[in-house]
Amino acid sequence: MTVGKDVSALFPDVVNCMQTDNLELKKLVYLYLMNYAKSQPDMAIMAVNTFVKDCEDPNPLIRALAVRTMGCIRVDKITEYLCEPLRKCLKDEDPYVRKTAAVCVAKLHDINAQLVEDQGFLDTLKDLISDSNPMVVANAAAALSEIAESHPSSNLLDLNPQSINKLLTALNECTEWGQIFILDCLANYTPKDDREAQSICERVTPRLSHANSAVVLSAVKVLMKFMEMLSKDLDYYGTLLKKLAPPLVTLLSAEPELQYVALRNINLIVQKRPEILKHEMKVFFVKYNDPIYVKLEKLDIMIRLASQANIAQVLAELKEYATEVDVDFVRKAVRAIGRCAIKVEQSAERCVSTLLDLIQTKVNYVVQEAIVVIKDIFRKYPNKYESVIATLCENLDSLDEPEARAAMIWIVGEYAERIDNADELLESFLEGFHDESTQVQLQLLTAIVKLFLKKPTETQELVQQVLSLATQDSDNPDLRDRGYIYWRLLSTDPVAAKEVVLAEKPLISEETDLIEPTLLDELICYIGTLASVYHKPPSAFVEGGRGVVHKSLPPRTASNESTESPETAPAGAPPGEQPDVIPAQGDLLGDLLNLDLGPPVSGPPLATSSVQMGAVDLLGGGLDSLIGGTNFVAPTTAAAPANLGAPIGSGLSDLFDLTSGVGTLSGSYVAPKAVWLPAMKAKGLEISGTFTRQVASISMDLQLTNKALQVMTDFAIQFNRNSFGLAPAAPLQVHAPLSPNQTVEISLPLSTVGSVMKMEPLNNLQVAVKNNIDVFYFRTLYPLHILFVEDGKMGES
Amino acid sequence: MISQFFILSSKGDPLIYKDFRGDSGGRDVAELFYRKLTGLPGDESPVVMVTTGGRRHHEGRHFIHIRHSGLYLVVTTSENVSPFGLLELLSRLATLLGDYCGSLGEGTISRNVALVYELLDEVLDYGYVQTTSTEMLRNFIQTEAVVSKPFSLFDLSSVGLFGAETQQSKVAPSSAASRPVLSSRSDQSQKNEVFLDVVERLSVLIASNGSLLKVDVQGEIRLKSFLPSGSVRREVSLFPGYGPGIRVDEVSFHSFVNLDEFESHRILRLQPPQGELTVMRYQLSDDLPSPLPFRLFPSVQWDRGSGRSTLEPKPRSLNVRLHLPLPRGVISLSQELSSPEQKAELAEGALRWDLPRVQGGSQLSGLFQMDVPRPPGPPSHGLSTSAPPLGLGPASLSFELPRHTCSGLQVRFLRLAFRPCGNANPHKWVRHLSHSDAYVIRI
Repeated sequence: MTVGKDVSALFPDVVNCMQTDNLELKKLVYLYLMNYAKSQPDMAIMAVNTFVKDCEDPNPLIRALAVRTMGCIRVDKITEYLCEPLRKCLKDEDPYVRKTAAVCVAKLHDINAQLVEDQGFLDTLKDLISDSNPMVVANAAAALSEIAESHPSSNLLDLNPQSINKLLTALNECTEWGQIFILDCLANYTPKDDREAQSICERVTPRLSHANSAVVLSAVKVLMKFMEMLSKDLDYYGTLLKKLAPPLVTLLSAEPELQYVALRNINLIVQKRPEILKHEMKVFFVKYNDPIYVKLEKLDIMIRLASQANIAQVLAELKEYATEVDVDFVRKAVRAIGRCAIKVEQSAERCVSTLLDLIQTKVNYVVQEAIVVIKDIFRKYPNKYESVIATLCENLDSLDEPEARAAMIWIVGEYAERIDNADELLESFLEGFHDESTQVQLQLLTAIVKLFLKKPTETQELVQQVLSLATQDSDNPDLRDRGYIYWRLLSTDPVAAKEVVLAEKPLISEETDLIEPTLLDELICYIGTLASVYHKPPSAFVEGGRGVVHKSLPPRTASNESTESPETAPAGAPPGEQPDVIPAQGDLLGDLLNLDLGPPVSGPPLATSSVQMGAVDLLGGGLDSLIGGTNFVAPTTAAAPANLGAPIGSGLSDLFDLTSGVGTLSGSYVAPKAVWLPAMKAKGLEISGTFTRQVASISMDLQLTNKALQVMTDFAIQFNRNSFGLAPAAPLQVHAPLSPNQTVEISLPLSTVGSVMKMEPLNNLQVAVKNNIDVFYFRTLYPLHILFVEDGKMGES
Repeated sequence: MISQFFILSSKGDPLIYKDFRGDSGGRDVAELFYRKLTGLPGDESPVVMVTTGGRRHHEGRHFIHIRHSGLYLVVTTSENVSPFGLLELLSRLATLLGDYCGSLGEGTISRNVALVYELLDEVLDYGYVQTTSTEMLRNFIQTEAVVSKPFSLFDLSSVGLFGAETQQSKVAPSSAASRPVLSSRSDQSQKNEVFLDVVERLSVLIASNGSLLKVDVQGEIRLKSFLPSGSVRREVSLFPGYGPGIRVDEVSFHSFVNLDEFESHRILRLQPPQGELTVMRYQLSDDLPSPLPFRLFPSVQWDRGSGRSTLEPKPRSLNVRLHLPLPRGVISLSQELSSPEQKAELAEGALRWDLPRVQGGSQLSGLFQMDVPRPPGPPSHGLSTSAPPLGLGPASLSFELPRHTCSGLQVRFLRLAFRPCGNANPHKWVRHLSHSDAYVIRI
């Protein structure tokens, strides 16, 4: 505005002009104040008098201007002078002043929250919710919900059927921007039964034809969420499904930026309820002048919508895309053909022949992509399309990308018995073994071992060569370990080796890139927001943990139980999942030894345990909130104070506590350890423990005893959501494996930053402990005093 | 909620910078954004991005931007807000700034800094959108727009479409486009004018065997009104005549539109505010009432590497361009065109055939010959195969069809229920235009 010059030196002169009657000049002066008051806080005081005077000006424009500007001046000294004028303006006769004042409360709250509460502004703000002017209502609601976010426990924005009704009425009157806000508010409400849900849906549906796409998407969000409560047998459910399609299609005719955002949302909607858009395949066809980010999203959605009914059309399109010029897009298109084959079984044959056609073009990157996807097709339909192997082998020399090479090597190893010159092919790869990437090296090692097990006589030399390359000449621990494992297997028990290496592999799942159901449900609650664009929960990217309240779809509570059909299971397990098809996560684990196309698994132990628990949980149900990265409380470095002068669970220091009485600074009562998990219930693992509070930190003292006959390793612990957000602040660290009859004592630091859910009784805590044998669940009650801080106040508000 | 709003020039200089929340790192955020944007590979502009790894203040900041008339309009936020809302807001702001300052551009923005800040103050308070309606804002805005050049209202030779962003952008901006909508209080002698545009975008996909894979038409009726507001009752009635033969699949109307007589007589009534608004948006797919405006008959022979294409346009059309990506490595091109004003050239690995003016019902043909280098590979797969080598096509056409709508929709009359207060009768301009969005013929 000032061409980068600092004009704060003019402050006194500008303030002198403040008392002008010319509105245009006054606005400019105020604009100046907003920009420079922060750098001249002392001088800003000079302006206060004029502000106060202007707040009483007969002209409502000036009153509003004064109160708005005062709120924007973030100088502490000024805020106290602001209270009186603000109070008057909140009750002003002019709605323009009132709506400005409502926002000003939010501004003031950001600067000095205590002041706002003390002055009773929050109550005034609540009254404004029932103001006669829709603009005032919208602003008051906006201000309240922002303030409510910083006080999660308070019921500032209390939603009940009456207030919902008020909001729905205001929905018809206010501006489009207000409508967005009200719809977002509605989405946070949980109707008490399906009738209420339906009546809200009916009143929200007209918003779907609004010209503002933000209004449309917010309405879609409300509908998607409340639909969860409606029975699928209702006529209304079908009507609603039909109504949702046209507005989503219309969004795709907007500018590319909006299209992209819309497509990211449609991607979620399609995964949740594919029936909505199943007839709209054509709108997702790629236009040549779409920006690449739009093209890739469209491609993804096309595959999600592919079914037996439209597969011919989809394949024809994909084949066209695979001949375009843009390399990235072509690659994705080729992959998409493979995904179609895996998804729609009837089309597999056609997909394979399409891929073969593409391989014939000899375009390098097309061939490589095609080989990668054909490998996946082999894994989905074993022993069906092996006739194409010969064609694939022709292209062996042109492969230069690690993924394609690894895929080809896997194919050769897997079908070694049908390829006459498999040993020559693999040997040719072996020449440059050390120049290959890890992925290819691992694959080559496995493939040659497979070959050896299938044709032991002529390949003995080859296998020895690769084993020595892997174990003696390599610096890569993964490769070396795998080499040694194979070596020992082969040398001790070739029959066992055959069983291990040539074991039947689990089929790969239909769609490997589906979003995990609990995350998907959470994201559905965030339709139309940034979370839905990133496909990440807001807690993953919103700073400071504001607004990180986990949302979940409402459970189905029908007022009329008889309408509920058993097949409409709640969201969670996708219907029709075959037990022999293991989900993507399990795929990684189940096949770790054999197929190593993914990046090497070298995450922290906690991460792996979460994957395992996820897999277990999918089968058993139960503690669903434990799985997934979303609720997983990452170990924080800040909260590891357990060793700060606190006894670390050794018998000696316990004694010390008792005798001296000053061993713990707080002198907090520690209950004796009780058995929480008897060995009978946990395959030999016995857990007893207690809770302690030491100098402002809570910890859980555990005693693990191995009463089984085998060694226990890989311990991890996780809590279910609980009333006070208790969560482990660090991973459970059992340093050495626990041998039979050994006991170890551990103090696990706890934090209260986990997700909160009211439990019955209040201090109930559900815990899952995992080791190499299994996952065990138990519950315990924790004494409430561990939550109290030493000075007598509650630690967690 | 919105933390900041800024406008950057095409070179990245911040023209306008407004911080609503005081929670951001200051002006250098704008610079950071520009660096991030220009540092991207390719010309794709992502809609949303997070800056991580910079200084502490910039952690978790989301940028949402649009490009308009060479300017970047950007908002930043640190919360999980609706990107639709923000994108919509940005395009409204672009319209609004256009309405108030005349056209939107680097020059007009820097001449009207005070006005822009004043507008921003009213549109957004503490990051909450208050209103984007030109009409409502009139009550609050004091500053006058500074305009650089006088207007000549009767310079009709250059009247183009104010709203239609035609692909060629060759249409000269009309007087309507560069004039602030709000009549200044001092100057009451302004002309009353109403502009109504029916603009359709046509996307077509034709398979290589000539069958139509997909057609859709996206149309909108846009109104720009210079009628002075005040005590006079203004009402505009539109009669977008689409009779029994014409249908549309999806319609949405602006909230100002009164639809009482729409079902019975297809009449839209509205009291337009000053400024621009989209009265109606519609969409039509799969089944067009009129035949396609162009037919292209490509024929390709591979032995010599020549191709002939014949183009048959139905209505009169302007600025037709055929774009045909060619296989990599094409070196020479020889051409035989049916009329002298046409032009064909090789550019960026593609053939471009320009036809500035095409009469309706005519047939045009072009014969192009080019040398394609032999693809590397075994000699058995030479050029003798019938399959075209990778990289040829699809052909796409871009064009403008003035006075033509593909859906057949026409505005039959535009009536103003308006009592002139001393002025002459208002001028009404109604224009129809179709242009290509993606008109693709696979070869």
